[in-house]
Amino acid sequence: MHPYERKWALGIFLFILLAYVLPYTVLSDTAKWYGSFLVWILLTAVVIVFNVFFTRDWGEKK
Amino acid sequence: MTTGMVWTGIIIYIFIASFVAFLSKTGKQTNMEGYFLAGRKLGGFVSALSYSATTYSAFMLVGLAGLTYAGGVGALGFELIYLMGVSLVAFFGPRFWLAGKKYGYLTPSEMLGDRYNSKLVAVIAAVSSCIFLIPYSAVQLSGIGYLLSGMTNGEISYTTGMVIATVMAVVFTYIAGIRSVAWTDSLQALFMIVSSTLVVFFLVYRLGGIREFFLDIETKAPELLTVPGNGYFSIATFLGLTIPWFFFSLSNPQVSQRLYMPGSLKSMRTMLLGFMIFGLIYTIVAVMWGFSAVNKFPELANPDMATPVLLSSELVPPVLGVIVMVGIMAAAISTIDSILLTLSSLFARDVYGNIRPEISDRKQLAMGKLVIPVIAVLAFLFAKLELNLIAVLSVASSAGLLVTVPAIIGTFFWKRGTAPAVLASVIIGGLVVFFFELTQIKPLGLASGLWGISISTILFIVVSLFTKAPEEKAEEFIGYIQNEIKQIYKNR
Repeated sequence: MHPYERKWALGIFLFILLAYVLPYTVLSDTAKWYGSFLVWILLTAVVIVFNVFFTRDWGEKK
Repeated sequence: MTTGMVWTGIIIYIFIASFVAFLSKTGKQTNMEGYFLAGRKLGGFVSALSYSATTYSAFMLVGLAGLTYAGGVGALGFELIYLMGVSLVAFFGPRFWLAGKKYGYLTPSEMLGDRYNSKLVAVIAAVSSCIFLIPYSAVQLSGIGYLLSGMTNGEISYTTGMVIATVMAVVFTYIAGIRSVAWTDSLQALFMIVSSTLVVFFLVYRLGGIREFFLDIETKAPELLTVPGNGYFSIATFLGLTIPWFFFSLSNPQVSQRLYMPGSLKSMRTMLLGFMIFGLIYTIVAVMWGFSAVNKFPELANPDMATPVLLSSELVPPVLGVIVMVGIMAAAISTIDSILLTLSSLFARDVYGNIRPEISDRKQLAMGKLVIPVIAVLAFLFAKLELNLIAVLSVASSAGLLVTVPAIIGTFFWKRGTAPAVLASVIIGGLVVFFFELTQIKPLGLASGLWGISISTILFIVVSLFTKAPEEKAEEFIGYIQNEIKQIYKNR
């Protein structure tokens, strides 16, 4: 794996890990829309943005 | 909503989709690469929409809404963790694409067979995909059956819905192979994202606005806004659902085969990012449907009926209800036709092509076309068994495909991986999943997929260490990919 890929892999992995940890720990009693519902959506949005930056070098070469 | 309206919707859909499928036909698809991979020239936009339509099936708006109804917000987490897992495409996509172009691979199994230097690997990987994907297609068919019968109070029977879907899937596959599949997929995906989002606006508006909407759930069923909540999404269940789906983009050949198709990496990037944005919106939509059903119809006996009941209620304007219902049917069809096409390529290339290597490309294609209706009928018969809870069965098939993941990772990252190790991990891992699903046992409370991936990973590593790796091929293959990847990120 290229070092550049490794860096992004780590970042994405950490956010996915948060998607398991947060709802089952600190948010397990927050029965509100801004609890797990919002947090999962935000974490996914961050991961999408990571993918945008990570893949910006993918070119037109056939 | 009357049965007449539903029939009218279905007929209009069949007419428009068939027209689009015919439009997609350019020249004659006389070779395997053209028919199954669109000549490796698919544009980014169509790739993104088609990837979305293939991935998101009847499961989303019927099964995921039902899962939200039964277990609450955990359904959102489950589906979004899957979506985050599609980031795997950012790592594996360019590698599949580069290898496909250089070595001419048509299917992921063909790649495994070549990389591990064993025809048997290709055959076994292809056969195991068929064993698990036919039930998966069946799940889609039963989704349509539930939906149509639910919305018309049984006036359109469970079987009639499934017959329509089976026939349409075969037709779309036949007209121009992947081109007609991709075009009808794109039409369906665009249509669906717009109409299903519109439904959410209606639901929220008619249930008193977004504040009221959540306030209602917070007071009526607060446990549905947390995990484990009402207990449905215990951490073991959550892991059992999310881990098999996390690897879906690699383990399921109908989507991993897509990685060979884009015309350039730029197109692949559009596919990946377009899909992720589509997926985020679509997931939120499905979950909001489930929550709406909780608000309005808290006493449903079968959670899978949440969507049909909602769409036929007074909350949704009847015309929109029919449009979305036909859209869900189209979603299932767009998943099934892609699976049919992938399975037929697997059979023609990896099974038939390896048993009779002297056969020409043209004859392989003829064989591929011959098996499409056979696979469709098998899926239909499986669906007739009418098994409950769509989501659970769907996950069972993705659990079965998961056992190929160690071999796929090894293809690109581990030179020591060997053919006997691939065979052991896929066959034994697959049998373990099959046995656990059949007997419904969960050792240590863990789902079959978790056992499947653990056992196949251990077998892949251990057997590789005791057998001889195809050193020359591994060196050449991995070396080539590494060099090309270095080129892509040369400025980083």
